[in-house]
Amino acid sequence: MSTWVVFRREVAHYAGSPFAYLIAFAILVLTGLLFREELVATETTIPNPAVIPNALSFFMVVFAPLLTMRLVAEEKREGTLELLLTAPVPDGSIVIGKFLGAWFYYTIVIGITLLYQIALSSVTAPDLGHTIAAYIGIWLYGGATLSVGILFSALTENQIVAAFLSMVALFLLWLADLAGQVISNIDAARVVRALSLQGHYSTSFAVGLVRMEDMVFFLGIILIMIYLATRAVESNRWR
Amino acid sequence: MIEVENLTKKYGALTAVDRISFKTKPGEIVGLLGPNGAGKTTTMRMLTGFLPPTEGSARISGHDIDTDSIEARRAVGYMPERIPVYPDMTVRAYVTFWARLRGMRRPASQVDKVLKQVQLFDRRDTLIRHLSKGMRQRLGLAQALVHDPPVIILDEPTIGIDPQQVIEVRETVRALRANHTVLLSTHILSEAEHVCDRVLIINKGQIVAQGKPGDLREKLQGGALLYVEIGGATAKDAKALLAGIPNVTSVEKEDKGWRLRISTSVDVRGEVSKRIMSAGYTLLEMRAETTSLEAIFLELISKEGSAT
Repeated sequence: MSTWVVFRREVAHYAGSPFAYLIAFAILVLTGLLFREELVATETTIPNPAVIPNALSFFMVVFAPLLTMRLVAEEKREGTLELLLTAPVPDGSIVIGKFLGAWFYYTIVIGITLLYQIALSSVTAPDLGHTIAAYIGIWLYGGATLSVGILFSALTENQIVAAFLSMVALFLLWLADLAGQVISNIDAARVVRALSLQGHYSTSFAVGLVRMEDMVFFLGIILIMIYLATRAVESNRWR
Repeated sequence: MIEVENLTKKYGALTAVDRISFKTKPGEIVGLLGPNGAGKTTTMRMLTGFLPPTEGSARISGHDIDTDSIEARRAVGYMPERIPVYPDMTVRAYVTFWARLRGMRRPASQVDKVLKQVQLFDRRDTLIRHLSKGMRQRLGLAQALVHDPPVIILDEPTIGIDPQQVIEVRETVRALRANHTVLLSTHILSEAEHVCDRVLIINKGQIVAQGKPGDLREKLQGGALLYVEIGGATAKDAKALLAGIPNVTSVEKEDKGWRLRISTSVDVRGEVSKRIMSAGYTLLEMRAETTSLEAIFLELISKEGSAT
Protein backbone atom coordinates (compact mmCIF):
# COMPACT_ATOMS: atom_id res chain seq x y z
CA MET A 1 0.00 0.00 0.00
CA SER A 2 2.60 2.55 1.05
CA THR A 3 4.96 1.26 -1.64
CA TRP A 4 2.19 1.87 -4.17
CA VAL A 5 1.65 5.43 -2.88
CA VAL A 6 5.36 6.25 -3.16
CA PHE A 7 5.56 4.54 -6.57
CA ARG A 8 2.67 6.63 -7.88
CA ARG A 9 4.25 9.84 -6.68
CA GLU A 10 7.56 8.97 -8.37
CA VAL A 11 5.87 8.08 -11.65
CA ALA A 12 3.91 11.34 -11.49
CA HIS A 13 7.17 13.16 -10.88
CA TYR A 14 8.86 11.61 -13.91
CA ALA A 15 5.80 12.34 -16.02
CA GLY A 16 5.96 16.03 -15.06
CA SER A 17 9.71 16.51 -15.01
CA PRO A 18 11.37 18.23 -17.99
CA PHE A 19 14.66 16.63 -16.97
CA ALA A 20 13.19 13.12 -17.26
CA TYR A 21 11.90 13.96 -20.75
CA LEU A 22 15.33 15.24 -21.66
CA ILE A 23 16.91 11.94 -20.65
CA ALA A 24 14.31 9.97 -22.58
CA PHE A 25 14.96 12.25 -25.55
CA ALA A 26 18.71 11.65 -25.34
CA ILE A 27 18.26 7.88 -25.12
CA LEU A 28 15.90 7.86 -28.08
CA VAL A 29 18.10 10.09 -30.24
CA LEU A 30 21.19 7.98 -29.58
CA THR A 31 19.40 4.68 -30.16
CA GLY A 32 17.67 6.22 -33.18
CA LEU A 33 20.99 7.09 -34.81
CA LEU A 34 22.24 3.56 -34.24
CA PHE A 35 19.06 2.16 -35.66
CA ARG A 36 19.51 4.21 -38.80
CA GLU A 37 22.96 2.65 -39.30
CA GLU A 38 21.40 -0.70 -38.67
CA LEU A 39 18.67 -0.09 -41.20
CA VAL A 40 21.20 0.93 -43.86
CA ALA A 41 23.22 -2.21 -43.14
CA THR A 42 20.23 -4.47 -43.75
CA GLU A 43 20.85 -3.96 -47.46
CA THR A 44 24.01 -6.06 -47.26
CA THR A 45 23.95 -8.05 -44.00
CA ILE A 46 21.59 -9.89 -41.66
CA PRO A 47 20.66 -7.48 -38.87
CA ASN A 48 21.53 -8.10 -35.23
CA PRO A 49 18.31 -7.51 -33.27
CA ALA A 50 20.29 -6.86 -30.08
CA VAL A 51 22.00 -3.72 -31.39
CA ILE A 52 19.74 -1.29 -29.48
CA PRO A 53 19.82 -3.25 -26.18
CA ASN A 54 23.61 -3.58 -26.50
CA ALA A 55 23.94 0.17 -26.86
CA LEU A 56 21.63 0.70 -23.86
CA SER A 57 23.89 -1.49 -21.77
CA PHE A 58 26.53 1.19 -22.09
CA PHE A 59 24.21 4.21 -22.08
CA MET A 60 22.77 3.17 -18.73
CA VAL A 61 26.15 3.73 -17.09
CA VAL A 62 25.47 7.40 -17.69
CA PHE A 63 21.68 7.59 -17.68
CA ALA A 64 20.83 5.43 -14.65
CA PRO A 65 22.64 7.82 -12.28
CA LEU A 66 20.88 10.79 -13.89
CA LEU A 67 17.48 9.14 -13.48
CA THR A 68 18.01 8.15 -9.86
CA MET A 69 20.24 10.86 -8.36
CA ARG A 70 17.36 12.89 -6.94
CA LEU A 71 15.31 10.00 -5.55
CA VAL A 72 16.53 10.11 -1.96
CA ALA A 73 19.09 12.93 -2.01
CA GLU A 74 16.45 15.53 -2.81
CA GLU A 75 14.14 14.33 -0.03
CA LYS A 76 17.02 14.71 2.36
CA ARG A 77 17.90 18.20 1.22
CA GLU A 78 14.32 19.45 1.18
CA GLY A 79 13.57 17.92 4.57
CA THR A 80 10.72 15.80 3.25
CA LEU A 81 12.63 12.70 4.33
CA GLU A 82 11.93 13.66 7.94
CA LEU A 83 8.20 13.59 7.21
CA LEU A 84 8.50 10.35 5.26
CA LEU A 85 10.27 8.74 8.18
CA THR A 86 7.50 9.83 10.56
CA ALA A 87 4.81 8.33 8.33
CA PRO A 88 3.43 5.01 9.60
CA VAL A 89 5.23 2.95 6.97
CA PRO A 90 8.35 0.74 6.96
CA ASP A 91 11.48 2.50 5.67
CA GLY A 92 11.94 -0.20 3.04
CA SER A 93 8.59 0.47 1.40
CA ILE A 94 9.70 4.04 0.64
CA VAL A 95 12.91 2.88 -1.05
CA ILE A 96 11.13 0.08 -2.95
CA GLY A 97 8.41 2.47 -4.15
CA LYS A 98 11.02 4.89 -5.43
CA PHE A 99 13.03 2.17 -7.13
CA LEU A 100 9.98 0.73 -8.83
CA GLY A 101 9.00 4.22 -10.00
CA ALA A 102 12.40 4.66 -11.69
CA TRP A 103 12.29 1.18 -13.16
CA PHE A 104 8.80 1.80 -14.52
CA TYR A 105 9.95 4.99 -16.23
CA TYR A 106 12.92 3.12 -17.72
CA THR A 107 10.57 0.36 -18.90
CA ILE A 108 8.49 2.90 -20.79
CA VAL A 109 11.55 4.42 -22.44
CA ILE A 110 12.91 1.05 -23.63
CA GLY A 111 9.35 0.16 -24.60
CA ILE A 112 9.44 3.04 -27.06
CA THR A 113 12.59 1.61 -28.67
CA LEU A 114 10.53 -1.48 -29.55
CA LEU A 115 9.19 0.70 -32.38
CA TYR A 116 12.58 0.25 -34.06
CA GLN A 117 12.15 -3.51 -33.88
CA ILE A 118 8.74 -3.22 -35.49
CA ALA A 119 10.19 -1.05 -38.23
CA LEU A 120 13.04 -3.52 -38.67
CA SER A 121 10.70 -6.47 -39.04
CA SER A 122 8.93 -4.63 -41.86
CA VAL A 123 12.07 -4.55 -44.02
CA THR A 124 13.72 -7.81 -43.00
CA ALA A 125 13.02 -10.83 -40.82
CA PRO A 126 14.93 -10.46 -37.52
CA ASP A 127 15.16 -13.38 -35.10
CA LEU A 128 12.23 -12.68 -32.79
CA GLY A 129 13.50 -14.93 -29.98
CA HIS A 130 16.83 -13.16 -30.06
CA THR A 131 15.07 -9.80 -29.82
CA ILE A 132 12.95 -10.86 -26.87
CA ALA A 133 15.93 -12.33 -25.00
CA ALA A 134 17.95 -9.15 -25.51
CA TYR A 135 15.09 -6.99 -24.26
CA ILE A 136 14.51 -9.13 -21.17
CA GLY A 137 18.23 -8.83 -20.51
CA ILE A 138 18.43 -5.08 -20.90
CA TRP A 139 15.32 -4.62 -18.79
CA LEU A 140 16.88 -6.50 -15.86
CA TYR A 141 20.27 -4.91 -16.54
CA GLY A 142 18.66 -1.45 -16.40
CA GLY A 143 16.92 -2.33 -13.13
CA ALA A 144 20.28 -3.29 -11.64
CA THR A 145 21.94 -0.02 -12.75
CA LEU A 146 19.02 1.98 -11.33
CA SER A 147 19.30 0.18 -7.99
CA VAL A 148 22.99 1.14 -7.82
CA GLY A 149 21.91 4.74 -8.52
CA ILE A 150 19.36 4.76 -5.71
CA LEU A 151 21.94 3.46 -3.23
CA PHE A 152 24.27 6.37 -3.97
CA SER A 153 21.36 8.79 -3.86
CA ALA A 154 20.60 7.52 -0.36
CA LEU A 155 24.19 8.02 0.74
CA THR A 156 24.40 11.75 0.14
CA GLU A 157 22.17 14.78 0.02
CA ASN A 158 24.03 16.22 -2.93
CA GLN A 159 22.54 15.02 -6.21
CA ILE A 160 25.67 15.77 -8.23
CA VAL A 161 27.81 13.75 -5.86
CA ALA A 162 25.27 10.93 -5.99
CA ALA A 163 25.29 10.91 -9.79
CA PHE A 164 29.07 11.08 -10.01
CA LEU A 165 29.66 8.26 -7.53
CA SER A 166 27.14 5.95 -9.13
CA MET A 167 28.58 6.67 -12.58
CA VAL A 168 32.02 5.69 -11.30
CA ALA A 169 30.62 2.54 -9.68
CA LEU A 170 28.70 1.53 -12.81
CA PHE A 171 31.62 2.29 -15.06
CA LEU A 172 33.83 0.03 -12.93
CA LEU A 173 31.20 -2.72 -13.08
CA TRP A 174 31.06 -2.24 -16.82
CA LEU A 175 34.86 -2.21 -17.20
CA ALA A 176 35.20 -5.34 -15.08
CA ASP A 177 34.10 -7.29 -18.12
CA LEU A 178 36.99 -5.91 -20.20
CA ALA A 179 39.35 -6.51 -17.30
CA GLY A 180 38.14 -10.09 -17.20
CA GLN A 181 39.13 -10.50 -20.83
CA VAL A 182 42.70 -9.33 -20.36
CA ILE A 183 43.51 -11.03 -17.04
CA SER A 184 45.84 -13.93 -17.83
CA ASN A 185 44.88 -16.04 -14.81
CA ILE A 186 41.79 -17.85 -16.03
CA ASP A 187 40.21 -18.39 -12.62
CA ALA A 188 40.67 -14.77 -11.59
CA ALA A 189 39.29 -13.65 -14.92
CA ARG A 190 36.20 -15.78 -14.45
CA VAL A 191 35.56 -14.33 -11.00
CA VAL A 192 35.89 -10.77 -12.28
CA ARG A 193 33.63 -11.48 -15.22
CA ALA A 194 31.07 -13.15 -12.97
CA LEU A 195 30.83 -9.95 -10.95
CA SER A 196 30.48 -7.58 -13.89
CA LEU A 197 27.21 -6.37 -15.36
CA GLN A 198 28.39 -7.01 -18.91
CA GLY A 199 29.55 -10.50 -18.02
CA HIS A 200 25.92 -11.45 -17.40
CA TYR A 201 24.61 -9.71 -20.46
CA SER A 202 26.97 -9.65 -23.45
CA THR A 203 27.52 -13.41 -23.72
CA SER A 204 23.98 -14.49 -22.86
CA PHE A 205 21.01 -12.16 -23.37
CA ALA A 206 22.82 -10.27 -26.14
CA VAL A 207 23.20 -13.45 -28.20
CA GLY A 208 19.67 -14.62 -27.53
CA LEU A 209 20.25 -16.75 -24.44
CA VAL A 210 18.05 -16.39 -21.37
CA ARG A 211 19.85 -18.10 -18.51
CA MET A 212 18.58 -18.43 -14.95
CA GLU A 213 21.97 -17.55 -13.44
CA ASP A 214 22.02 -14.18 -15.22
CA MET A 215 18.49 -13.31 -14.16
CA VAL A 216 19.35 -14.27 -10.57
CA PHE A 217 22.46 -12.11 -10.78
CA PHE A 218 20.56 -8.97 -11.82
CA LEU A 219 17.69 -9.53 -9.39
CA GLY A 220 20.23 -10.25 -6.66
CA ILE A 221 22.01 -6.94 -7.36
CA ILE A 222 18.66 -5.15 -7.17
CA LEU A 223 17.76 -6.76 -3.83
CA ILE A 224 21.15 -6.09 -2.29
CA MET A 225 21.20 -2.46 -3.46
CA ILE A 226 17.66 -1.84 -2.16
CA TYR A 227 18.58 -3.40 1.16
CA LEU A 228 21.68 -1.21 1.47
CA ALA A 229 19.78 1.90 0.37
CA THR A 230 17.13 1.18 3.02
CA ARG A 231 19.83 0.97 5.66
CA ALA A 232 21.29 4.24 4.39
CA VAL A 233 17.86 5.90 4.65
CA GLU A 234 17.44 4.45 8.13
CA SER A 235 20.78 5.91 9.18
CA ASN A 236 19.17 9.34 9.12
CA ARG A 237 17.48 8.33 12.34
CA TRP A 238 20.78 7.78 14.10
CA ARG A 239 21.94 11.37 13.91
CA MET B 1 -2.82 12.11 24.41
CA ILE B 2 0.91 12.14 25.02
CA GLU B 3 2.63 10.48 27.97
CA VAL B 4 6.34 11.04 28.32
CA GLU B 5 8.53 9.40 30.95
CA ASN B 6 12.18 10.22 31.49
CA LEU B 7 12.71 10.73 27.80
CA THR B 8 16.40 11.22 27.06
CA LYS B 9 18.39 11.78 23.89
CA LYS B 10 22.15 11.81 23.83
CA TYR B 11 24.31 12.68 20.86
CA GLY B 12 27.64 11.25 21.93
CA ALA B 13 28.69 13.23 24.98
CA LEU B 14 26.01 15.87 24.46
CA THR B 15 22.69 15.33 26.19
CA ALA B 16 20.12 17.15 24.07
CA VAL B 17 17.09 16.05 26.07
CA ASP B 18 17.55 15.08 29.69
CA ARG B 19 14.90 12.94 31.44
CA ILE B 20 11.85 14.87 30.39
CA SER B 21 8.49 13.73 31.77
CA PHE B 22 5.06 15.17 31.13
CA LYS B 23 1.51 14.23 30.21
CA THR B 24 -1.08 15.96 28.15
CA LYS B 25 -4.83 15.69 28.36
CA PRO B 26 -7.07 15.33 25.31
CA GLY B 27 -8.09 18.70 23.95
CA GLU B 28 -5.16 20.47 25.54
CA ILE B 29 -2.72 22.79 23.80
CA VAL B 30 0.68 22.44 25.40
CA GLY B 31 3.57 24.70 24.57
CA LEU B 32 7.22 23.76 24.73
CA LEU B 33 8.97 27.00 25.42
CA GLY B 34 12.68 27.50 25.36
CA PRO B 35 15.62 29.18 23.66
CA ASN B 36 17.11 27.75 20.49
CA GLY B 37 19.00 24.57 21.20
CA ALA B 38 17.04 23.79 24.36
CA GLY B 39 15.94 20.41 23.04
CA LYS B 40 12.46 21.26 21.77
CA THR B 41 12.93 19.90 18.26
CA THR B 42 14.74 16.79 19.49
CA THR B 43 11.87 16.06 21.90
CA MET B 44 9.38 16.42 19.07
CA ARG B 45 11.44 14.28 16.73
CA MET B 46 11.41 11.50 19.28
CA LEU B 47 7.66 11.77 19.79
CA THR B 48 7.00 11.65 16.04
CA GLY B 49 9.08 8.49 15.63
CA PHE B 50 11.83 10.14 13.59
CA LEU B 51 14.56 9.69 16.21
CA PRO B 52 14.74 6.79 18.66
CA PRO B 53 15.18 7.90 22.29
CA THR B 54 18.40 6.97 24.09
CA GLU B 55 16.52 6.27 27.30
CA GLY B 56 13.04 6.58 28.67
CA SER B 57 9.75 6.03 26.95
CA ALA B 58 6.79 7.86 25.52
CA ARG B 59 3.33 6.84 24.45
CA ILE B 60 1.07 8.45 21.88
CA SER B 61 -2.59 7.53 22.39
CA GLY B 62 -1.37 4.51 24.35
CA HIS B 63 1.11 3.30 21.70
CA ASP B 64 4.73 3.14 22.76
CA ILE B 65 6.94 5.10 20.35
CA ASP B 66 9.62 2.43 20.54
CA THR B 67 7.84 -0.93 20.57
CA ASP B 68 4.71 0.10 18.67
CA SER B 69 6.23 2.77 16.47
CA ILE B 70 4.00 2.39 13.40
CA GLU B 71 0.76 2.72 15.41
CA ALA B 72 2.19 5.62 17.41
CA ARG B 73 3.18 7.39 14.17
CA ARG B 74 -0.30 6.82 12.77
CA ALA B 75 -1.71 8.78 15.73
CA VAL B 76 0.49 11.83 15.10
CA GLY B 77 0.32 14.72 12.68
CA TYR B 78 3.66 16.50 12.48
CA MET B 79 4.73 19.82 11.06
CA PRO B 80 8.51 20.25 11.16
CA GLU B 81 10.06 23.67 11.61
CA ARG B 82 11.13 23.97 7.99
CA ILE B 83 8.04 23.00 6.00
CA PRO B 84 9.08 20.12 3.78
CA VAL B 85 7.47 20.45 0.37
CA TYR B 86 7.61 18.95 -3.08
CA PRO B 87 7.72 22.13 -5.21
CA ASP B 88 6.60 20.28 -8.33
CA MET B 89 3.32 19.07 -6.82
CA THR B 90 0.02 20.90 -6.62
CA VAL B 91 -1.41 21.76 -3.24
CA ARG B 92 -4.07 19.10 -3.49
CA ALA B 93 -1.74 16.38 -4.81
CA TYR B 94 0.66 17.08 -1.94
CA VAL B 95 -1.94 16.79 0.79
CA THR B 96 -3.46 13.74 -0.90
CA PHE B 97 -0.04 12.08 -1.01
CA TRP B 98 0.43 12.42 2.74
CA ALA B 99 -3.12 11.30 3.43
CA ARG B 100 -2.59 8.13 1.40
CA LEU B 101 0.80 7.42 2.91
CA ARG B 102 -0.80 7.57 6.34
CA GLY B 103 -3.29 4.94 5.31
CA MET B 104 -6.34 6.81 3.99
CA ARG B 105 -7.86 4.99 1.05
CA ARG B 106 -10.20 7.63 -0.34
CA PRO B 107 -8.88 10.91 0.99
CA ALA B 108 -10.47 13.30 -1.54
CA SER B 109 -13.26 14.71 0.65
CA GLN B 110 -11.02 14.90 3.72
CA VAL B 111 -8.34 16.70 1.68
CA ASP B 112 -10.88 19.29 0.51
CA LYS B 113 -12.12 19.75 4.06
CA VAL B 114 -8.64 20.36 5.43
CA LEU B 115 -7.74 22.72 2.58
CA LYS B 116 -10.83 24.77 3.41
CA GLN B 117 -9.88 24.72 7.06
CA VAL B 118 -6.48 26.28 6.33
CA GLN B 119 -7.88 28.54 3.59
CA LEU B 120 -5.96 27.01 0.74
CA PHE B 121 -8.96 25.55 -1.09
CA ASP B 122 -8.87 28.32 -3.71
CA ARG B 123 -5.23 27.44 -4.37
CA ARG B 124 -5.76 23.69 -4.59
CA ASP B 125 -4.44 23.43 -8.14
CA THR B 126 -1.49 25.79 -7.65
CA LEU B 127 2.01 24.34 -7.79
CA ILE B 128 3.63 24.53 -4.38
CA ARG B 129 6.63 26.39 -5.83
CA HIS B 130 4.32 29.37 -6.42
CA LEU B 131 3.04 29.58 -2.82
CA SER B 132 4.09 32.32 -0.42
CA LYS B 133 5.80 31.55 2.87
CA GLY B 134 2.60 31.96 4.84
CA MET B 135 0.70 29.68 2.48
CA ARG B 136 3.39 27.04 2.76
CA GLN B 137 3.05 27.26 6.52
CA ARG B 138 -0.66 26.58 6.22
CA LEU B 139 0.05 23.79 3.77
CA GLY B 140 2.35 22.26 6.40
CA LEU B 141 -0.52 22.44 8.83
CA ALA B 142 -2.87 20.85 6.29
CA GLN B 143 -0.65 17.79 5.81
CA ALA B 144 -0.39 17.40 9.60
CA LEU B 145 -4.17 17.46 9.99
CA VAL B 146 -5.33 15.54 6.96
CA HIS B 147 -5.49 12.06 8.51
CA ASP B 148 -7.29 13.50 11.54
CA PRO B 149 -4.76 12.31 14.13
CA PRO B 150 -5.54 12.58 17.86
CA VAL B 151 -2.16 14.23 18.49
CA ILE B 152 -0.71 17.11 16.52
CA ILE B 153 2.88 18.20 16.94
CA LEU B 154 3.92 21.56 15.53
CA ASP B 155 7.52 22.72 15.59
CA GLU B 156 7.66 26.54 15.62
CA PRO B 157 4.44 26.94 13.62
CA THR B 158 4.67 30.73 13.30
CA ILE B 159 8.34 31.22 12.54
CA GLY B 160 9.26 33.46 9.64
CA ILE B 161 5.80 34.61 8.57
CA ASP B 162 4.25 38.06 8.72
CA PRO B 163 2.13 39.23 11.68
CA GLN B 164 -1.20 38.88 9.89
CA GLN B 165 -0.38 35.29 8.98
CA VAL B 166 0.83 34.63 12.51
CA ILE B 167 -2.62 35.55 13.78
CA GLU B 168 -4.27 33.27 11.23
CA VAL B 169 -2.07 30.33 12.12
CA ARG B 170 -2.68 30.88 15.83
CA GLU B 171 -6.41 30.97 15.29
CA THR B 172 -6.27 27.75 13.31
CA VAL B 173 -4.25 26.12 16.08
CA ARG B 174 -6.67 27.33 18.78
CA ALA B 175 -9.53 25.84 16.79
CA LEU B 176 -7.84 22.44 16.78
CA ARG B 177 -8.24 21.88 20.50
CA ALA B 178 -11.82 20.71 20.07
CA ASN B 179 -10.72 17.36 18.61
CA HIS B 180 -6.99 17.13 19.07
CA THR B 181 -4.20 17.33 21.57
CA VAL B 182 -1.66 19.84 20.34
CA LEU B 183 1.98 20.06 21.31
CA LEU B 184 3.73 23.08 19.87
CA SER B 185 7.14 24.57 20.38
CA THR B 186 8.02 28.21 20.30
CA HIS B 187 10.65 30.58 21.55
CA ILE B 188 8.20 33.48 21.47
CA LEU B 189 6.65 33.90 24.88
CA SER B 190 3.65 35.97 23.95
CA GLU B 191 2.73 33.19 21.57
CA ALA B 192 2.78 30.61 24.32
CA GLU B 193 0.63 32.91 26.44
CA HIS B 194 -1.92 33.45 23.69
CA VAL B 195 -2.21 29.95 22.34
CA CYS B 196 -1.36 27.43 25.04
CA ASP B 197 -3.36 26.05 27.93
CA ARG B 198 -0.19 24.90 29.57
CA VAL B 199 3.45 25.76 29.10
CA LEU B 200 6.54 23.67 29.72
CA ILE B 201 9.62 25.82 29.95
CA ILE B 202 12.58 23.84 28.75
CA ASN B 203 16.22 24.76 28.92
CA LYS B 204 19.32 22.68 28.29
CA GLY B 205 17.19 19.61 27.77
CA GLN B 206 15.30 19.82 31.05
CA ILE B 207 11.90 21.11 32.07
CA VAL B 208 12.62 24.00 34.42
CA ALA B 209 9.05 25.13 35.06
CA GLN B 210 5.56 24.23 33.98
CA GLY B 211 1.98 25.34 34.45
CA LYS B 212 -0.74 27.55 33.02
CA PRO B 213 0.76 30.73 31.60
CA GLY B 214 -1.10 32.83 34.22
CA ASP B 215 -0.18 30.59 37.15
CA LEU B 216 3.42 30.42 36.07
CA ARG B 217 3.64 34.15 36.07
CA GLU B 218 2.05 34.47 39.49
CA LYS B 219 4.15 31.78 41.02
CA LEU B 220 7.41 33.13 39.73
CA GLN B 221 6.84 36.80 40.31
CA GLY B 222 5.45 36.12 43.82
CA GLY B 223 2.00 37.69 43.78
CA ALA B 224 0.39 40.41 41.69
CA LEU B 225 1.65 43.91 41.02
CA LEU B 226 -0.38 47.09 41.15
CA TYR B 227 0.63 50.55 39.94
CA VAL B 228 -0.96 53.50 41.75
CA GLU B 229 -0.62 57.25 41.23
CA ILE B 230 -1.87 59.60 43.93
CA GLY B 231 -2.55 63.34 43.69
CA GLY B 232 -2.27 65.78 46.59
CA ALA B 233 -0.09 63.76 48.92
CA THR B 234 3.58 64.05 49.81
CA ALA B 235 5.73 61.13 48.95
CA LYS B 236 6.14 60.19 52.57
CA ASP B 237 2.41 60.30 53.36
CA ALA B 238 1.48 58.40 50.23
CA LYS B 239 3.96 55.66 50.96
CA ALA B 240 2.78 55.31 54.54
CA LEU B 241 -0.83 55.17 53.43
CA LEU B 242 -0.21 52.49 50.83
CA ALA B 243 1.98 50.41 53.07
CA GLY B 244 -0.82 50.33 55.65
CA ILE B 245 -3.18 48.48 53.32
CA PRO B 246 -3.64 44.78 54.17
CA ASN B 247 -1.96 42.25 51.87
CA VAL B 248 0.43 44.86 50.47
CA THR B 249 3.89 43.47 51.06
CA SER B 250 6.00 46.21 49.59
CA VAL B 251 5.70 49.71 48.14
CA GLU B 252 8.26 51.07 45.70
CA LYS B 253 8.54 54.42 43.97
CA GLU B 254 8.00 54.07 40.25
CA ASP B 255 7.95 57.11 37.91
CA LYS B 256 5.30 59.42 39.30
CA GLY B 257 3.49 56.75 41.29
CA TRP B 258 4.03 53.63 43.31
CA ARG B 259 4.29 49.96 42.63
CA LEU B 260 2.58 47.73 45.17
CA ARG B 261 3.39 44.07 45.51
CA ILE B 262 0.36 42.12 46.70
CA SER B 263 1.03 39.01 48.73
CA THR B 264 -1.74 36.83 47.35
CA SER B 265 -4.01 37.05 44.39
CA VAL B 266 -6.73 38.91 46.33
CA ASP B 267 -8.11 41.97 44.64
CA VAL B 268 -7.10 44.98 46.77
CA ARG B 269 -8.07 47.67 44.28
CA GLY B 270 -11.31 48.60 46.08
CA GLU B 271 -9.50 48.96 49.35
CA VAL B 272 -6.76 51.08 47.81
CA SER B 273 -9.12 53.54 46.21
CA LYS B 274 -11.30 53.75 49.36
CA ARG B 275 -8.31 54.59 51.57
CA ILE B 276 -6.97 57.20 49.21
CA MET B 277 -10.37 58.91 49.03
CA SER B 278 -10.95 58.89 52.77
CA ALA B 279 -7.50 60.38 53.37
CA GLY B 280 -8.54 63.28 51.15
CA TYR B 281 -6.20 62.57 48.20
CA THR B 282 -7.13 61.95 44.61
CA LEU B 283 -6.54 58.72 42.77
CA LEU B 284 -4.99 59.64 39.42
CA GLU B 285 -4.23 56.20 38.08
CA MET B 286 -4.42 52.59 39.11
CA ARG B 287 -3.62 49.56 36.98
CA ALA B 288 -2.64 45.95 37.44
CA GLU B 289 0.86 45.25 36.18
CA THR B 290 2.00 42.01 34.72
CA THR B 291 5.49 40.83 34.30
CA SER B 292 5.52 39.18 30.94
CA LEU B 293 6.50 35.57 30.72
CA GLU B 294 9.48 36.98 28.93
CA ALA B 295 10.95 38.36 32.14
CA ILE B 296 10.20 35.16 34.03
CA PHE B 297 11.75 33.16 31.30
CA LEU B 298 14.95 35.18 31.26
CA GLU B 299 15.12 34.95 35.03
CA LEU B 300 14.71 31.19 34.99
CA ILE B 301 17.26 30.74 32.30
CA SER B 302 19.84 32.97 33.91
CA LYS B 303 19.32 31.10 37.22
CA GLU B 304 19.99 27.89 35.38
CA GLY B 305 23.04 29.41 33.82
CA SER B 306 24.52 30.62 37.11
CA ALA B 307 23.82 27.29 38.78
CA THR B 308 25.96 25.35 36.36
